[in-house]
Amino acid sequence: MAEEFLVVKDLHKSFNEFKAVNGVSFSIGKGEIFGLLGPNGAGKTTTIRMLSTVLKADSGDVTIGGHSVRRDAEAVRNIIGVCPQDLALYEDLSALDNMVFFGRMAGLDGKEARDQAMTNLKLMGLVDRAKGKVAKFSGGMKRRINLAIALMGNPQLLFLDEPTVGIDPQSRNNIYETIEGLRDKGMTILYTTHYMEEADRLCKRVAIMDGGQIIALDTVYKLKGEIGSPEQVTLEDVFLKLTGRSLRD
Amino acid sequence: MKRVFFIAFNEVKLYLQDKGDLAFSLLLPIVTFALIYGAFGGQTLFEATAYVVDEDEGAYSSIFLEQLEAVEGVDVELITTSQADTKLERSDVLLVLHIPDGFSEALTSGERTQLVFRQRGNAGQEGQIVANIIRGVAEEMNQEFQVHRQVSDSLQGKGIPEDRIEVVVQEFLDKERRQPVVGVVEETLGGSPDFVNQFLPGIVTMYVLFAIAMAARVIVEERRKGTLERLLTTRLSVGQLFLGKFFASVSRGFVQTLILLGLSYAVFQIFTPLSFLESLVIALIFAGAASAVGLIIASIARSEDGATWIAVVFSVITFMIGGTFFEIAEGTTLYTISRISINSYANDAFNVIIAQGGSLADVGPELGILAGVMVVGLVVSRLIFRVVPGGK
Repeated sequence: MAEEFLVVKDLHKSFNEFKAVNGVSFSIGKGEIFGLLGPNGAGKTTTIRMLSTVLKADSGDVTIGGHSVRRDAEAVRNIIGVCPQDLALYEDLSALDNMVFFGRMAGLDGKEARDQAMTNLKLMGLVDRAKGKVAKFSGGMKRRINLAIALMGNPQLLFLDEPTVGIDPQSRNNIYETIEGLRDKGMTILYTTHYMEEADRLCKRVAIMDGGQIIALDTVYKLKGEIGSPEQVTLEDVFLKLTGRSLRD
Repeated sequence: MKRVFFIAFNEVKLYLQDKGDLAFSLLLPIVTFALIYGAFGGQTLFEATAYVVDEDEGAYSSIFLEQLEAVEGVDVELITTSQADTKLERSDVLLVLHIPDGFSEALTSGERTQLVFRQRGNAGQEGQIVANIIRGVAEEMNQEFQVHRQVSDSLQGKGIPEDRIEVVVQEFLDKERRQPVVGVVEETLGGSPDFVNQFLPGIVTMYVLFAIAMAARVIVEERRKGTLERLLTTRLSVGQLFLGKFFASVSRGFVQTLILLGLSYAVFQIFTPLSFLESLVIALIFAGAASAVGLIIASIARSEDGATWIAVVFSVITFMIGGTFFEIAEGTTLYTISRISINSYANDAFNVIIAQGGSLADVGPELGILAGVMVVGLVVSRLIFRVVPGGK
């Protein structure tokens, strides 16, 4: 693994009696796409909220780019970008206005924000819809804008929380290619998804969470190898074997 | 500080995008103003009906009633004694004038006579005014008789015919009416729409109170859109977010007030340039206090409905106990309770500027309290705010 960019040590978070995250530890190398997988309610989103400074951990520590989330949250926010699971957009504004606004929030000046917004819109194949109102966009376009906003300010670490939910294969493919392009440029990415083929395609290493704990952490290849031939076994097989087949709501 | 500005700017931009919201909030003050104008524009004189039982029905009672009816704003309605009893019993009227039988006869023979007021309680404010008008007419009639009598007495036995004396006396009285020894000149300063003066402060504070509901929703709306968490993973701090939302809410509340006060200034001319600016300063500080209270609600509300309901209930209570459209006498329990309401201070301040011609220096304590509420509200809203349960 390359130089560690994100280090999570023994992270805990409870809501009343419920232990949402219970002793999670992992690290991500610079320029790596790391998959955080798990069934519903496993604690993935709570973990991301703590890593992205929105939620305070009960205990444990997180270091991102050498900055402690607990002690230096502001420095952490300077180098992260978050693409939340639910769309987080101003639907009454245009795509460009959304991106420029979040660019300004990320510390860009007016021209930088505008230039970067156009670059990211181009990356997402939405440059011709820059001035269109987001409310009139399709689900796939909104997902792409949601991701494009997370890129404003050129973050070094990107949190992608199920960025491809409910979109068509074309939009999904566009997002995959964008993520791979970002990785090639050296961006570190923490990726959560319920689509195992996505994780298989994008992530070299994955952690599988269940009940607030990490129950497996390794390369996709090694995890597959633990239950059979890596060429024949799918990541979904591994996931189901580790987390069981009972429904999670 | 730039981010605070962008948050406020974005909020205003979103507000401008919502055509319905925009039309409603900008047209409402204009419609309200039109209603005020329709109700009170140019109708600022006193109007009342004098209920009279004319038991005399003689020449002098007719003259008296003619003179009473000639008073601007007073209508005379003749009723019978039994009608007067019924109306007074039911409190349909609070004052009835009785012209007693023999009134004209007494005056003709030079004897003294009396008019009688029958009234419920103190006859109410309108009744007291009507009673004073009647006294004035009676006094005038009295003076005319005295002049007549004195002139007649001094010319008696000098061979001047009675009808000639009558003409000369009448000419003298007419001249006196036109050029009285002590005259009254009305000097109107910046128009005189009393009703507007009386109600405008309440209407303005009512509009500014909308800022509570507006501010209460801003954070919850961000939460619903999912943008709240996203914003707080950027370099934006919670304090900057709140300050930005605060400025946006203040500006929205202030614009409505500006429209209302501006129209009142232009049409009713109830302001001088200075008092207009002073009223805007009060509106601005009050909008700040209302917005800060709204942000406290925003900090604790978890849904838009919740925020709206808390804000509405709070605003209605504040509105009701704040003496918005009625004066609360100092020293009463209600007055003490009204001090809890922020708009009682704003009302007082507006009243001093608009209705009493005071200056900002006269409303320092009121403005100080409103500014205090604003600062404390902002601090408290920030302290109790959590992005997510257990979050920052």
